[in-house]
Amino acid sequence: MKMKDSVAIVTGGGNGIGEAVAKYLVKNGAKVAIVDMAQKNIDRVVGEIKAMGGEVIGVQANVTSEADTAKFIKATLDAFGKLNIVVACAGIIRDGTMLTIDKETGKVTRKMGLDKWQPVIDINLTGTFLTLRDGAEAMVNGGWEGILVPISSVNKVGQIGQLNYSSTKVADALMPKIIVGEFQMRGIHNIRCVGVAPGYTATPMLTGMNQDALKALLHEVQIGRLVEPEEVAALIGHCVENGAIDATTIEITGGLCYEHGIAK
Amino acid sequence: MSKFTYNDAEYIVEPSGYDIRRVMPDGSSSLVAANLYYGLPVQEAEAKAQALVKSIQPVGIKVVGPDITRPNMIGDLKIVGPDISRPNFIYWDKDSTSFPKSS
Repeated sequence: MKMKDSVAIVTGGGNGIGEAVAKYLVKNGAKVAIVDMAQKNIDRVVGEIKAMGGEVIGVQANVTSEADTAKFIKATLDAFGKLNIVVACAGIIRDGTMLTIDKETGKVTRKMGLDKWQPVIDINLTGTFLTLRDGAEAMVNGGWEGILVPISSVNKVGQIGQLNYSSTKVADALMPKIIVGEFQMRGIHNIRCVGVAPGYTATPMLTGMNQDALKALLHEVQIGRLVEPEEVAALIGHCVENGAIDATTIEITGGLCYEHGIAK
Repeated sequence: MSKFTYNDAEYIVEPSGYDIRRVMPDGSSSLVAANLYYGLPVQEAEAKAQALVKSIQPVGIKVVGPDITRPNMIGDLKIVGPDISRPNFIYWDKDSTSFPKSS
């Protein structure tokens, strides 16, 4: 499928990987709906895409809401008349261990609360599900060729301190196999699903962290630097155009070696 | 350029492609969409812009989830949803046969 003249929805399109994906698609001739919670980010990205000469709409929406999901799908169809690419980038972290133990007494002093657990599940997992579900519904009913892209993470293998996040990302990584299997079962052959699992990526979340901690992270990466969001975007663009990539989740990590903090 | 008002905000449709700009009552503005409707007649573009704005920013009832201060009642049965800020508690020192009080 060609990116040129295709129509894409990018959730979490207001910054980070989502922003890079949206701009990459526009550069290659796609029309894009930017979906984000933060209107300020939407305004900036929509303005920058306008300056690039791209066709774009911005929709403020909460991806955990069915009503909001229906809203941004409808708005995309109203603006552009079809839908071909859905990239579910919206995601958050709320790190912490499941239990905190007092070193002296050996007793539990704190547990991960639902305030840390539930929002991560809601946005990273339920939000991705709703986005892909309703995106696929529009593609099937419209008869349009398409691709669904859940964004997983290399931490799908299990990152200490991220029981919530890793649980969602392993689920997101599994989605392509199940979704494509169901499409195959239903005789749908023109909609693919490909997950992308980035490693440490140069988004504000990581570049803003303690620089010593960042250096320590980079010791684990063969290329010795963070993956650029534009490199993740280019991989997604390749997945759009290479029709043989399907029902899998592809890692893009710069050669991350799991030396510390990963439960194998 | 044309203007219309919807849900207390003014929308400006600018034919430079067609851009749709939202102007809030406090004067702040943002781009709702850019470079749409190339080649369409002005009236058709403006009608599409109005429909698009209503899709992006619908006016309706906002469902915010269960409100534990105003539960739904079915007869005497009180229906409340989960409230993550006030989780359910198990009282380990009260009348449980499975977990008898240990002290």
